[in-house]
Amino acid sequence: MVASRLIAKLQRYEGWFGIAAGLLIMVGLYMGLVTSSPDYYQGEVVRIMYIHVPAAQSAMFAYTVLFGGSLWYLWKRDPVVDNMCHAAAGIGIFFTAIALVTGSIWAKPTWNTWWTWDPRLISFAIMLLILVGYLMLRTFLEDKEKEATYAAILAIVGFIDLPIIHFSVEWWRTLHQPLSISTRGVSIARDMLIPLLLMSIGFYLLFAYMLMVRTQMLYLQHLLEAKRGRMLSKVHL
Amino acid sequence: MKWFYIRWGGVLIIAAIIGVLGIQRYNRDVTAISPDRLLRDQPAQTVRVIGMVEAGSILKEEGAVLFQLSGEGAKIPVRYGGEESENLRDLKTVVVVGMWNPTTKTFDSGKIALVPNYGFVTAAYLISLLPMGFFLFNMERKVAMLYILIKEEKVYQPEQLTEESLESR
Repeated sequence: MVASRLIAKLQRYEGWFGIAAGLLIMVGLYMGLVTSSPDYYQGEVVRIMYIHVPAAQSAMFAYTVLFGGSLWYLWKRDPVVDNMCHAAAGIGIFFTAIALVTGSIWAKPTWNTWWTWDPRLISFAIMLLILVGYLMLRTFLEDKEKEATYAAILAIVGFIDLPIIHFSVEWWRTLHQPLSISTRGVSIARDMLIPLLLMSIGFYLLFAYMLMVRTQMLYLQHLLEAKRGRMLSKVHL
Repeated sequence: MKWFYIRWGGVLIIAAIIGVLGIQRYNRDVTAISPDRLLRDQPAQTVRVIGMVEAGSILKEEGAVLFQLSGEGAKIPVRYGGEESENLRDLKTVVVVGMWNPTTKTFDSGKIALVPNYGFVTAAYLISLLPMGFFLFNMERKVAMLYILIKEEKVYQPEQLTEESLESR
């Protein structure tokens, strides 16, 4: 199967992904926390951006991978891709939670509130709920085939939330700032843009590394469970 | 598992070094002293002083702005010669960067900064990076443990080689 072979091939370079992610994040952190200038109005608190934005981008990327993988699974029924989707959902929850928590911490000194019912924040929180629902669904069903199919359908339906998250700051009047990098240009100072880009690429690579490790973990877990199950059934017989 | 723990030990050491450097940088460039402490210690080097601009004290001179900065029961006269700043307003808490002049008994400043709010920044980074490290460590450890388990249980052996499978055939 094409996707399984691609995943296996990429996993050979797993360590390099981890090293590259680590290096980029370290340089990005140094530039973001030490060399970049503070914001004129927000002051030092703007430095939260270098962790909040990459985490949010990685969370959305994780969901995009989950969506693509789910479509692929429904078409080809490749269990390796299903494993990868399962892994992507777990990591997606992690990055979504980080984005929400850091966003809340950033909101307090700038908006004077920890949380507000803003379209961007709500749509992002909905993504977290969809991902949690996805994982819950996977634990409730006994039949592995059905579990994977229903989970894939849920992931595909839930994908509708992603364009809403992305365009929410354009469609509605929100407290959340509009896109800093868009087709209209870049509205961010150069010494802030470089660490932000480094951190973003670092987080994407970190996501890829985590995805490989977690896919491997789930595969090994299934392998062990299957073998143990087979051994146990032989003992019972 | 030995190499796994050595690798993660290395990661911890690097994290600790970065943490120490961060604290040193914070103490050097971010923390600010109060006007009260400035008057007590009278440091000779450039310092950051945090305080509130006294209401009605701002006086504009040619090339400089004079005002009183108060904090913790003390008040110091400040002579600010930097660029015009929107942050220099009555009753605004600011950080002035400069040196104490013992002869004129004035704090000569060339830069006004906002109150750092570094507590929020530190909280955001710690709350993200620590669980991230823990999450990754846990996953990698689990993979290593599963490999060991599979090896110990000889799960990787093809079934046709085991006695049971031969008998069943």
